[in-house]
Amino acid sequence: MAIIEIEQLSKSYRVYQKREGLSSAIRGLWRRQYREVDAVRSIDLRVEQGEFVAFLGPNGAGKTTTLKLLSGVIYPTSGTARVMGYVPWERSNEYRRRFALVMGQKNQLWWDLPAQESFRLHQQIYRIELEQFKKTLAELTDLLSVGELLGRPVRELSLGERMKMELIAALLHSPEVLFLDEPTIGLDVVAQHNIQQFLKYYQQQRQITILLTSHYMKDVAALCRRVVVITSGAIKYDGSLVGVIDKFSGSKILRLLLAAGQSSDGLERFAEVESIDLPKVVLRCRRGEIPKMLSSILQQYQIEDVAVEDPPLEQVIANLFEHAASDSSNQVSL
Amino acid sequence: MKIAKSVEHPNYIQVFATFAKNSLIRNMMFRTNFVLESISSASWALMNVGFYLIVFEHTNSIGRDTGWEKYEFFVFLGTTWLINAIVQAFFMPNAEEFSELIRTGGLDFALLKPIDTQFLVSFRKVEWSSLANVLFGLVLLAYGVSHLVGRSTHPWQIEPITWLLYPVFVFCGVTILYSLMTCLAATSIWLGRNQTLYDFWFYITNFSRYPSEIYETGWGLPLWGIFTFAIPVLVVVNVPARLLAQPLTPRSPSEWALAAYTLLATVASLLASRWVFQRALRSYRSASS
Repeated sequence: MAIIEIEQLSKSYRVYQKREGLSSAIRGLWRRQYREVDAVRSIDLRVEQGEFVAFLGPNGAGKTTTLKLLSGVIYPTSGTARVMGYVPWERSNEYRRRFALVMGQKNQLWWDLPAQESFRLHQQIYRIELEQFKKTLAELTDLLSVGELLGRPVRELSLGERMKMELIAALLHSPEVLFLDEPTIGLDVVAQHNIQQFLKYYQQQRQITILLTSHYMKDVAALCRRVVVITSGAIKYDGSLVGVIDKFSGSKILRLLLAAGQSSDGLERFAEVESIDLPKVVLRCRRGEIPKMLSSILQQYQIEDVAVEDPPLEQVIANLFEHAASDSSNQVSL
Repeated sequence: MKIAKSVEHPNYIQVFATFAKNSLIRNMMFRTNFVLESISSASWALMNVGFYLIVFEHTNSIGRDTGWEKYEFFVFLGTTWLINAIVQAFFMPNAEEFSELIRTGGLDFALLKPIDTQFLVSFRKVEWSSLANVLFGLVLLAYGVSHLVGRSTHPWQIEPITWLLYPVFVFCGVTILYSLMTCLAATSIWLGRNQTLYDFWFYITNFSRYPSEIYETGWGLPLWGIFTFAIPVLVVVNVPARLLAQPLTPRSPSEWALAAYTLLATVASLLASRWVFQRALRSYRSASS
């Protein structure tokens, strides 16, 4: 049985449609226009135990909403979900003891107190055995090398240090399922890398199941084999990271190194020219046309070196998001 | 694997002790603020007493033949302070924070914890500086009672059962106010923001600050009815204060009925607050991150 099973899960919000200006604000006092926003539209998903899955999608695509539904923080409009056999929004203590949610943009530690005071509270709320608690805390602080920061008020920590503390708080009760909502947002490259390394190690050691949302392709590439692309509340792709390119990019990048003295004139007849910086030329062409085009070019030009590449992942994803944004439509009702 | 029932729930008393401890550390951290808050509430208390001393320069009794003369009324005032200070120390900071948690989406974390959400939200913070007012209420109470017991005409004795009943009804009063506050705070889930919480709270609880006899004539009667039965804030201070400020016997049957009603109202308000809280949580939308 899959550890996470989602069927036909939907969540829509009714939001007050505000118009510009004072007069419409006054009209809005008694007659309001509401808009139905479908944050998540009939999602189906199965995740097996031990998987590390990334949710990719532009802002407002429904990634965070999905994680909140799975955490039981909000109720769905329709559909079902089970995590380890529990219905999340029933909020049973048993379920809540077995998973954790970390949000990069919100913090749960007591702001004015040292993190260790919040950890102590977690120990009591989750009823962690004192010996076990000490052991886990020592292990986590060691892995994240924040041991000497435990006694410092949280508000005096840097963003990266605070994020590490948030992670520790979430992992103290050794959750079997972990939801990470943009855990590296706003962090510098070093801090990002540290957290990536930690997550990778921790997940491999414990074989826990993790769902991650992130805008950083580096996070995703470093951590997740499986990628789920969500746009406008619906799943557009579910598979491997490289598969995203196969599916969503019809083009290939062709890099040519022209021989000395060879002009680049006329190359635009074969393919779209991305850049010319003699003797280097970069062309973009449709995937299926590569062999034919390459042989024509090789016949007509003096070429020193050739490389055929996939377009950069970030670019593919960006195109995918843009594409999705332009054909997304939300129902407007009066 | 089935976890034993006893392990499912955290030890609520222990968790509350940690909340109280963390709040104390936090309060102490902002030392000057802590001292200033204590001083400001103490001076407010003194001014309040001064005001009633002036009132009693002009009259001997609040209302005619109501039995609320100066020292009886000081017992009433002491009870008011005691109950309000307890509410302010334990619940006021949490109710304010609750609104904020909803607006910022911080309630998410409260909902994740394997502990009763209403408990977590209601007891997270303790405002230790308000406990100075508890002390002040007790002093006022002792002052009033000692005068009643020691006066030359009609000195009266307090029976042991009174000492037992008084804390019980103070507890009831605190519980009713807590429930009311929780209901008010929970409305912020639907309203998105509820800044009038404080105002509304002040308007309503203002009625609880005076002996109920003053409402029991003329157009005061509807007010008396509303604030006894619909929103039972009138019994909050009146019932315990009356218990201590007047001899236990003789009492009219209606007073015993009111005391019994207070117990009922306490349970009903607590259940109502739980119901409203649960309903509100169902509508929680969680601010976007």
